[in-house]
Amino acid sequence: MTTDPTRDGTPVPLLQVDDLAIEFATPDGVVRAVDGLSYSVSAGRTLAIVGESGSGKSVSSLAVMGLLQQPPARIVRGSIRFGGTELLSLGQKAHRAVCGENIAMVFQDALAALNPVHTVGWQLTEALRARHGMSRRDATARAVELLDLVKVPNAKQRVKEYPHQFSGGMRQRVMIAMALSMDPEVLIADEPTTALDVTVQAQIMRLLSEIQAERQMGLILITHDMGVVANVADDVTVMYAGRAVEQASVFDIYAAPAHPYTRALLGSIPRLDQKGGGLAVIPGRPPDPTQVPAGCAFHPRCAFAEDVCRADPPPPTVSLPFDRTSACHFAEEVMNHDEH
Amino acid sequence: MTSTDVVLEVRDLAKFYPVRRGIVLKRHVGEVKAVDGVSLSLRRGKTLGLVGESGSGKSTLAKVLVGIEKPTRGQILVDGEDVSNLGRAERRELRRHIQMVFQDPYTSLNPRMSVGEIVGEAYAIHPDAVPAGGKAKAVRELLDRVGLNPDHIHRYPHQFSGGQRQRIGIARALAVRPKILLCDEPVSALDVSIQGQVINLLEELQDDLGLSYLFIAHDLSIVRHIADEVAVMYLGRLVESGTDAEVYEVPSHPYTRALMSAVPVPDPSLRDQRREIVLEGDMPSPVDPPQGCHFHTRCWLAPLMESRVDPAGSQSRSIPTICRTESPKLGALESPDHLAACHFADDVSAH
Repeated sequence: MTTDPTRDGTPVPLLQVDDLAIEFATPDGVVRAVDGLSYSVSAGRTLAIVGESGSGKSVSSLAVMGLLQQPPARIVRGSIRFGGTELLSLGQKAHRAVCGENIAMVFQDALAALNPVHTVGWQLTEALRARHGMSRRDATARAVELLDLVKVPNAKQRVKEYPHQFSGGMRQRVMIAMALSMDPEVLIADEPTTALDVTVQAQIMRLLSEIQAERQMGLILITHDMGVVANVADDVTVMYAGRAVEQASVFDIYAAPAHPYTRALLGSIPRLDQKGGGLAVIPGRPPDPTQVPAGCAFHPRCAFAEDVCRADPPPPTVSLPFDRTSACHFAEEVMNHDEH
Repeated sequence: MTSTDVVLEVRDLAKFYPVRRGIVLKRHVGEVKAVDGVSLSLRRGKTLGLVGESGSGKSTLAKVLVGIEKPTRGQILVDGEDVSNLGRAERRELRRHIQMVFQDPYTSLNPRMSVGEIVGEAYAIHPDAVPAGGKAKAVRELLDRVGLNPDHIHRYPHQFSGGQRQRIGIARALAVRPKILLCDEPVSALDVSIQGQVINLLEELQDDLGLSYLFIAHDLSIVRHIADEVAVMYLGRLVESGTDAEVYEVPSHPYTRALMSAVPVPDPSLRDQRREIVLEGDMPSPVDPPQGCHFHTRCWLAPLMESRVDPAGSQSRSIPTICRTESPKLGALESPDHLAACHFADDVSAH
């Protein structure tokens, strides 16, 4: 399937998530991990999903991939569409088959995601052999091509090696190569550089951007690093306690955040080019998912909170100019708020 | 800098680990030079940021400083007194002065001990450190000091969040009233919104208690924020050191430059203006480090220098002979405290 994003001027979304809600049954009761999440990603575009641990950013992408263990998880409502196909009505097996051909995922911990007892070449081509019945010789040749593609030096030799013989950065390249083996149209990268050193992180992000531009893939980058987001994303979705609290283009969101959480997050990161006094801090901590505060989930930590925030949940999407949304009672005030 | 200003001084410190082969004979076949000739000084009440990637030797250096590992060579001076070759009892006494805050607050606290036991454990080892008023009172005060509720003294680590656990780790380190805290990546395991809280707590404690910090981190932005002086390590050696402003504004080693440029700046409008130096490859193995300058195999500057040193030489990306054969010494730049170990240090900022 090919999509031409610019034929009629507006990009056709490849992957579209609408009003997704996911619950988990836990000993402490039912936890709503994702609540009303919507986003879309088009060919050649990068969507960054930003959030802290427990915000629901990883759970939602596991749902997209059909990798959620159900139960304990349960998809309460919503839709996940790829091309024209509704994935959630397919049943898990068919869902995974669609993903296998079209959507691939790169996980954070490359060492844990690779099988230590098989060679890297064997793992790289597992999908090709299983799905396309490729012969071993063809598969090995393809594995070498894939490693070349992700710039692993000396690929011919290295397909015969095992994961422990690779450095952290090289392992992450193998993961990316594996994800690319089926020529996906959408790539989901879950914290792909978190465990890596700064200089290696830069190498991997550059590699991802190059491959994306070349193949016009849609890229979903799940991260907590606002620096990485600023460098690569086109659109940003900020998640807090299972909800998308703000969605906007990368330039708008950094220039004038319209949700207090985004604003606080941007204010609390130390910068290389600035030496400041005390670091701005978000008081408290992300809520325990079994005890999400009433009203707006962010209100106990919010500098803008008023009575209405404690009483009523904010509208899920307050529409703002430039196609952006914020889930805040005071979205417009926050956006126009000037600290200086 | 007068000597009384310096609370901790490290001179030519090295830690080598033997590489052995065979089961019975365990032949000595080489060594990993984890730390190889590092000299540093930490000033009283100040923070020295130690920056480097994995494999640079920064954590080994910390282990040697707190006495977990014995140095292969070199001296460690605490308040001017050489403490590198002490006996058991004296080393124990030394540990009162240097305490450590660990990276991972999930694995560095014993899950079977209550918070009171964890924080108070140090008093069992250092009975003379128990303040007047007794152990229980001291522990409660410490918890209060780091922003935890003293009534939670009987709770267990799993009942706390990551940020709170790191506060417990800090309280434990403070129990014996040390002069120096070694903080090994103290916030890298925490959520972004929590990191600032812990950094601010560390800064407050420093102001109130006059503590000196050796702050080890790979996050250059956080080091920029907290450190007064910065030292950069690569493959067991120091490649650059100086005040925070000197190192960050005039980075004078090609590795430091590359490291800084690799840090993403959280501002999309600067996306196209920044020139990023992306280093090729990984850090070489410390078992078999490159000859000459350890960095020459990944250096972006060396090939540019070759044409100048040897104009008749080929136009290919070759490396100047001096980089391949001679290990550069840490030399002073414009200011006597700003040091860089590069044969072409003066040219780094020009490129």
